[in-house]
Amino acid sequence: MKFRFILRRLLVTVPMVLVVITLTWALIRLAPGNFYASERKLPPAIEKNIRAKYGLDRPWYVQYGHVMRNILSLDFGNSLKYENETVNDILRRTLPVSAAVGTCAYLLALLVGTVLGTVAALKQNSKLDYGAMGVSMLGISVPNFVLGPILVLVFSLSLYWLPPARWDGFPSWSMVLPVLTLSAIYMAYIARLTRAGMLEVLRSDYIRTARAKGLTERQVVLRHALRGGLLPVVSFTGPALALLITGTVVVERIYALPGLGTYFINANLNRDEPLILGIVAFTSVLVLVFNLLVDIAYGFIDPRIRY
Amino acid sequence: MTESKTARLLTLALSAALLLAACGPPVQKSDYFGKVEPPPGQTLRYITGSEPESLDPQMSSGQPEARLDIALYEGLVEYHPKTMEPIPGVAESWKVNSNASEFVFFLRKNARFSNGDPITARDFVYTFRRGLDPALASRVAFLAWEIKNAEAYNTGGSFVRDPKTGRFVLASEAAESGGAAGQAAGPVSGEDAAPDTEFHRRMHEPDRLFVPTDEKEREKALKADPKLAALVEGKELVPATAEDVGVEAVDDYTFRITLRQPAPYFMGLVAHQFFRVVHQPTVEKYGVNWTKPGNIVSSGTHMLAEHKPYNQLVVVKNPYYWDADKVRLDKIVFYPLDDQTTMMNLYKAGEVDATYNHTVPASWLRAGVRYARDYMDAPENGSVYWQVNTTAPPLDDKRVRKAFALAIDRQALEEFRVVSKANNVFVPTGILHGYPSPKGYDFDVEGAKKLLADAGYKDGAGKFDPKKFPANSIEVIYNTSESNRQVAEFVQAQWKQNLGLTIPLRAIEWKTFVQTRAKLEYKGFAGGAGWSGDYMDPYTYLGLFATEGGDNGTGWFQTKFVDMLNAANREPDQAKRYEQLSKAEAYLLDECPVIPLSKPATSWMKKPYVKGMYPNPATLHAWKFVYIEHDPAKWDQSMPDMTNDQIAEAKE
Amino acid sequence: MSDERTPQVPTEEGRSQEPWGAGSPALTPRGTPQRPPVAARSGAEIHAFPETAVGEGDVRTAGESAAPARGTSLWRDAWKRLLKNRLAVFGMFVVGFIAVAVIIGPAIIKALTGFTYDYIPAGNTVSYPPFTAPDGSFSWTHPMGTDAAGRDMLARVLQGGRISLMVGVISTFVSLIIGVTWGATAGYLGGKIDDLLMRIVDVLYAIPYMMIVIVLLAFLGRNLSPLGQIFLLFAALGAVSWLTMARIVRGQVISLKNQEYVLAARATGVSTPKIIFRHIVPNALGPVIVYATLTIPSVMLQEAFLSFLGLGVQAPYASWGSLAQEGIQNIAVFPWQLIFPGVTMALTLFSLNFLGDGLRDALDPQMRKF
Repeated sequence: MKFRFILRRLLVTVPMVLVVITLTWALIRLAPGNFYASERKLPPAIEKNIRAKYGLDRPWYVQYGHVMRNILSLDFGNSLKYENETVNDILRRTLPVSAAVGTCAYLLALLVGTVLGTVAALKQNSKLDYGAMGVSMLGISVPNFVLGPILVLVFSLSLYWLPPARWDGFPSWSMVLPVLTLSAIYMAYIARLTRAGMLEVLRSDYIRTARAKGLTERQVVLRHALRGGLLPVVSFTGPALALLITGTVVVERIYALPGLGTYFINANLNRDEPLILGIVAFTSVLVLVFNLLVDIAYGFIDPRIRY
Repeated sequence: MTESKTARLLTLALSAALLLAACGPPVQKSDYFGKVEPPPGQTLRYITGSEPESLDPQMSSGQPEARLDIALYEGLVEYHPKTMEPIPGVAESWKVNSNASEFVFFLRKNARFSNGDPITARDFVYTFRRGLDPALASRVAFLAWEIKNAEAYNTGGSFVRDPKTGRFVLASEAAESGGAAGQAAGPVSGEDAAPDTEFHRRMHEPDRLFVPTDEKEREKALKADPKLAALVEGKELVPATAEDVGVEAVDDYTFRITLRQPAPYFMGLVAHQFFRVVHQPTVEKYGVNWTKPGNIVSSGTHMLAEHKPYNQLVVVKNPYYWDADKVRLDKIVFYPLDDQTTMMNLYKAGEVDATYNHTVPASWLRAGVRYARDYMDAPENGSVYWQVNTTAPPLDDKRVRKAFALAIDRQALEEFRVVSKANNVFVPTGILHGYPSPKGYDFDVEGAKKLLADAGYKDGAGKFDPKKFPANSIEVIYNTSESNRQVAEFVQAQWKQNLGLTIPLRAIEWKTFVQTRAKLEYKGFAGGAGWSGDYMDPYTYLGLFATEGGDNGTGWFQTKFVDMLNAANREPDQAKRYEQLSKAEAYLLDECPVIPLSKPATSWMKKPYVKGMYPNPATLHAWKFVYIEHDPAKWDQSMPDMTNDQIAEAKE
Repeated sequence: MSDERTPQVPTEEGRSQEPWGAGSPALTPRGTPQRPPVAARSGAEIHAFPETAVGEGDVRTAGESAAPARGTSLWRDAWKRLLKNRLAVFGMFVVGFIAVAVIIGPAIIKALTGFTYDYIPAGNTVSYPPFTAPDGSFSWTHPMGTDAAGRDMLARVLQGGRISLMVGVISTFVSLIIGVTWGATAGYLGGKIDDLLMRIVDVLYAIPYMMIVIVLLAFLGRNLSPLGQIFLLFAALGAVSWLTMARIVRGQVISLKNQEYVLAARATGVSTPKIIFRHIVPNALGPVIVYATLTIPSVMLQEAFLSFLGLGVQAPYASWGSLAQEGIQNIAVFPWQLIFPGVTMALTLFSLNFLGDGLRDALDPQMRKF
């Protein structure tokens, strides 16, 4: 049953990515501007040369067919903006950066967030609860484009402890500030979702059964409550992880990191079609797989769920 | 009350944290900004601007690329570090003929590529032809269109030949009377600096007519112009080839460029990266990947060691460079960054030694950075202006356009912006020596109101009445950026205060902005990026309205104006030529397709220990002159003196 | 406080939430048009803890099927419980205060000092700190100082608040409506429909949002009035933030749909929409409200990003997001340009959040047991 479910979901991924790519391609073509437009209006003859070079003068269905062939062969071709780089090169190079920062940030957030959330739920309406929620609220109310520069100001420009920007590889000191900045908001989200989920679960019947059976509070929380209480966190994790890896845009910008997010935003702004499509195809697979994992995790965490 | 106390405490803590963070070290006047600690050895860490699109000099057009290309490639000439005038590069010397239509370069014999291959005139012929190759599709190829037959080759044109007589149809035959192409005087014969050749004689023939080789396009062109169609009828077409382009290797060390018409500004253009020499075998071997580390063979002072896009690009000294003894920097690390705050942070923390132009946020300047001793503030070869859509009412009336131009207090804008100076004409004043600027738009509210009243927006008494003016039917579009927004808000406030008109503002993302402007889909004004000159000559600005279809996003294009420019370019006497160009500019200002606002200052930072790097008008640095001075006694105490053209030299 | 030891005494009001409890636990097979079959385990659980069911059966009167009465009591009860939560009341007070301030504040400032959000004084070259006159002495003129163009920060913060609050509340509401409907439908119906609905969500996730906005603007934005622009902004913000909401709701619904009371409701023939929106959604409200309070800050900040693309509030108007973005650039030199919009925004979000928590607790039918 479970196996068939997973197989079905994996199979459906392929047509879905094609749908995503088609829609994205259509959007790029509908969007005003093109990759070569700049301050100076180009003479029409020069524009014609460029369009001929990149096959933009061919009928749309030929170009679309070309895109689809590229996607299916997993070779997205060269970037338009950075001519001598293939999209695959860019993905290979930038993904580790984003993934390193994103994963570290998420692990940190998960650790701190679940602890804060669980404690807050167990001690609902206590000072501890308010304190934990207050801290987590800070993470939400202070946007990362504000938090980042403040951290830089304190740790780099006043104390001279950490570099204010740039990437020195993994692991390195240059990761610290980006990870802290990025994790703040996720920590806040997770803490709050955990608290809400835990409150819900702590009142449910099976926890009462567990307690009635005479299990210690520790056992009740760790073995039974946490499983159900983390449900909202789990459903948040799928999209959040995918977004973390691609969506570290602001943090990458503040710290000038050569990550996927930077490329993606610039690709959109530059109308760099192969690069946009490559990143979109990659991230949509990522989102789909993560969501699938989340759904599987659901089944493990909450035995009531059937497929 | 514990709960709300907690909340209050948290709020307090938040504000305290912010305050604490905010009260960093204050900016000190008359001091250096941030850490001053030279890196060991001769390594320069420099911020270049956004990630370079390409390291191929013929493919890139921007300044970030130019800064790298100067290190990697050398041209016939190099930019003087202070004045931007051409100084010897691969060419030891050069001769220009009397009407500035033919240039002969004498190459030095010891110039080499980074693999040891000698650089000869043939390499330049290859480089020039390559840049113009339609298959390469370079965006900046039009820079070379003044070279004889270059446009025909680059645009895929064919010459028209009579099959019976073998005679080519000339451009002058097809031109409208008085048209630009018709009167173009060719190069002067008989004053050759290099031996005459058959190719040379061919280059001195009158300009040939060319039509698109592509059938569909040709039909379209012929349909639109019956006179042209008649000329082409029954003739055979000869496609223009690379060999037709007016560049010639007279011998291994003599290189000759012939233009189709006089262009006195051309010498100022030759140092542009488009004309910097590339290594033919490498380009042909690796194709699009030839600039990758490991493949690339360069010709400049430095060679590529490492390229991590969006992170860093490292070049090291090129041992084969002809002047390698003089090159001081062993290594330059370029950081591709374009976020002002990020780079200022890096600069302050002492992680970089210098930044590119326009890098200091206006607010930092206001807060005192402009008094810092390492702040470089020199005039730039650039102009900031707004374009006007001259095709849609009410701005299709030039009186209305001028009224808006007059109702801006540019002096106040200068005080507000700090990073730019008032400029009431199109070509920036005070940067091109000897160019007499015409009378510009002085701040004149009464004059503006009178013009608007004349245009029909008046009450019964004949006075200007803001209510009559359809202010809501026009708007100001600008591409999103902090500085554009500030300027737009300021000008909006000026018009509101001076004319009583509130023109709505709209920010748009860059590519949409460019398209909206190019297609004239905006109503009113386009406040954009302005223009940085490609070379030190008024023509780099005025010529924006002269190229084919070049209305520069305003819908204003007049052959009368183009003729004025061409006439000026045929004038051999520089002073007279400038006078004529100035008249053309006056005409442009009277037509008012653009509203000039300001001229930018270069505005960048350089640590005092970086020597030989000057705030020149384009912020392009010939790296061979730059070095790190480890002796604090010799550090720059302030912005280097720009009134002479002496270059600092390191003592061994 | 250890809640689990609190004696579980039913409070005075009945559990109006569980309408199936009215003494008819008979699981008649007729009104069950949908799968899945009733799980045996669930049935066992019903008997394992009978007190919930029995308790309310007793309280409920014969006329309890009258929906309006039940509805009012639910909300009235919630309101009462909300008022007991001091933190929530505090939050409500602050949000209310700020809402009033941003609505009438700009007019008052204009009357008192003559400053508006867009008034640029002539000849200004510096940004003044709070309570400082141009000559450096103390002055009440600009209690929050001025911005880079010399505009009164207080007026700008208040005006920005109008935009940000409107954006936050309306867009979140939009996302709430779409997300809850979508997610609950998918989660409850399950099977192919669930698959389809969630795959649509996945696809929408994957399409680059920036491109959507750019195209949206190109086709709709050009000739839009300022008001139209704002509505486009709400639509664009709501359109993206409902996706996560839908996933969260779906997850909740899936875990709830096999619970006893739902099975029972289904068994008694209650229609599917009614089961979803009357029985399941109210019980899933906890995480939904929490997520909604999390959505408000995120849309407020997204608004600043969208204005970069050209969608949304245009200069010289401001929003808290855009003010903070401006301020952060100048934090090292003019900190007040960040502190005032930043703190106001943080305070509002804090309060909104306390309010949201209180609301969650108040709306949660099981709360009263603790």
